Amino acid sequence: MNNTGISLKEILLSSFDDIQAEVTDEQRLTVNCKKDSVVTVLSSLKNRGYNHLALISCLDWIKDNKLELIYILTSYTEESEKGKLNILVKTKIAREKAELHTVTSIFENAEPYERELHELYGIHFTGHPRLIPLFLEREYKIPPFRKDFDTKKYVEDVFDQVPFIKDKKGKK
Amino acid sequence: MRELELYFGPQHLGMVGNFSITLNVEGDRIIKATANPGFLHRGFEKLMEQRTWIQNFPLVCRINVVEPDHMELMYAMAVEKLAGIEIPERAQYIRSIYLELARVGSHLFGLWAYANMLGFDTVANWAMYHRDLILDLFEELTGGRVYHIYIWPGGVRRDFPEGFKDKIISTLHAIGSCVPDYDNTFFNNRIFYKRAKNIGKITHEEAIKMGAVGQVLRATGMKQDIRKIEPYAAYDQVEWEVPTRTDGDAYSRIWVVRDEMIESVHMIFKLLDKMPQGEAYTKIPNPFKWKIPGNETYVRCESSRGELGLYLVSNGEDKPYRAHFRTPSYNHGLTILEKALINESIADVGNIMISLYITAPEIDR
Repeated sequence: MNNTGISLKEILLSSFDDIQAEVTDEQRLTVNCKKDSVVTVLSSLKNRGYNHLALISCLDWIKDNKLELIYILTSYTEESEKGKLNILVKTKIAREKAELHTVTSIFENAEPYERELHELYGIHFTGHPRLIPLFLEREYKIPPFRKDFDTKKYVEDVFDQVPFIKDKKGKK
Repeated sequence: MRELELYFGPQHLGMVGNFSITLNVEGDRIIKATANPGFLHRGFEKLMEQRTWIQNFPLVCRINVVEPDHMELMYAMAVEKLAGIEIPERAQYIRSIYLELARVGSHLFGLWAYANMLGFDTVANWAMYHRDLILDLFEELTGGRVYHIYIWPGGVRRDFPEGFKDKIISTLHAIGSCVPDYDNTFFNNRIFYKRAKNIGKITHEEAIKMGAVGQVLRATGMKQDIRKIEPYAAYDQVEWEVPTRTDGDAYSRIWVVRDEMIESVHMIFKLLDKMPQGEAYTKIPNPFKWKIPGNETYVRCESSRGELGLYLVSNGEDKPYRAHFRTPSYNHGLTILEKALINESIADVGNIMISLYITAPEIDR
């Protein structure tokens, strides 16, 4: 099937002892690692030529009380075989006081992704150069992309406060 | 000289789209630039979690106003992968032709914005007119001009109507016959050269380091195209080239866009020649009761701006658990733009921004 993925999986499993890796469908390699080893796993992958960070995403597993972060890497080099492989590096962190070390020192373009996750999921990235709001303009008690954020209730609370015209004095 | 802070956009005349940049300037030189997105944040990814698999189609195409078709493709491809749906060969060809038409339309729109920015109003109007001809094709094929909702899990919504192939050919010939005019008036024009050469320059190493994709990377000399690396639809069925340039400035980027348009048109002719007969879609389960087994997937394609990806997760319900789009403008607008603007003049902000092909709706989502 996919030799690049399988050989990379063997290399990763032999050099790190606390990770699980598996080649899922055709061109995808999934690596599960502990919270503390994310930075070392990502930098070792970067040294092996997987130099393009495509996405940092987050999943809210509210039933397990965990947040899962997904770093998607691929290779942008002249070697076409490596470029076919996408690596999904995953890690789980606690939902309360969610905190993780930044990866901006390894991938420069991680900066806006981490700002976005900080804002939408309430994850604090230690060592991030500017963890300031990116998209939102209002303050939220619960970060809005978490599963326990009730969009309907929020809209009712915030926007239904505007009085209707008929309630105003002197108007019908 | 005194350092001043200048708010560039969203109301500034030189700004295209709902985007804003805070510039620190000394005289006319930019010392520091801070991108400030969020004016178009509509929370699409959160809204998608509250709609069924099929209801999301009218939503995803609105993420990028300029080229909705690649967004549809991404979502359809992800759903197909999660649900294990095979698509017929003819549908693959139709998808490719449709997406290449969309790419030409999007590039013409980009050319309109760029030419307008440099004051080439005639070229801008031509580009807008030619984009309109492509929208006419879309209208006949799908019923909509801008948002088409044409790509569907299992293929496309309907087959080409009768005589549609000839209409594509005659429209593309009409546009192609104007390429010498475009070249004489714009691409080989000395004014364009002087305004764009060595402006917003990015070296190959910087581009790789900051995660550049699409034309921005190809303008630095790298043949990087997802259509070649991980072929989807029918892109592996025909021969075509990836155009590149080596200088990495605004001039190179716009030339790559021009070459790509011409390559796309040639590709459409080849695809039309080879297109097989058969079904245009496979049947999908009842969309009102459609539950997709729990799994996750990451799919990617080459949109007209570069690598576009979608990370989609299902937990076995009738709605997605999480959808996250990886859009090319995100890197270009938030990381590269801030670096590319340093030491340029205020008059070139729009020039650099459009040559990087940034669209605000794609960043904010």
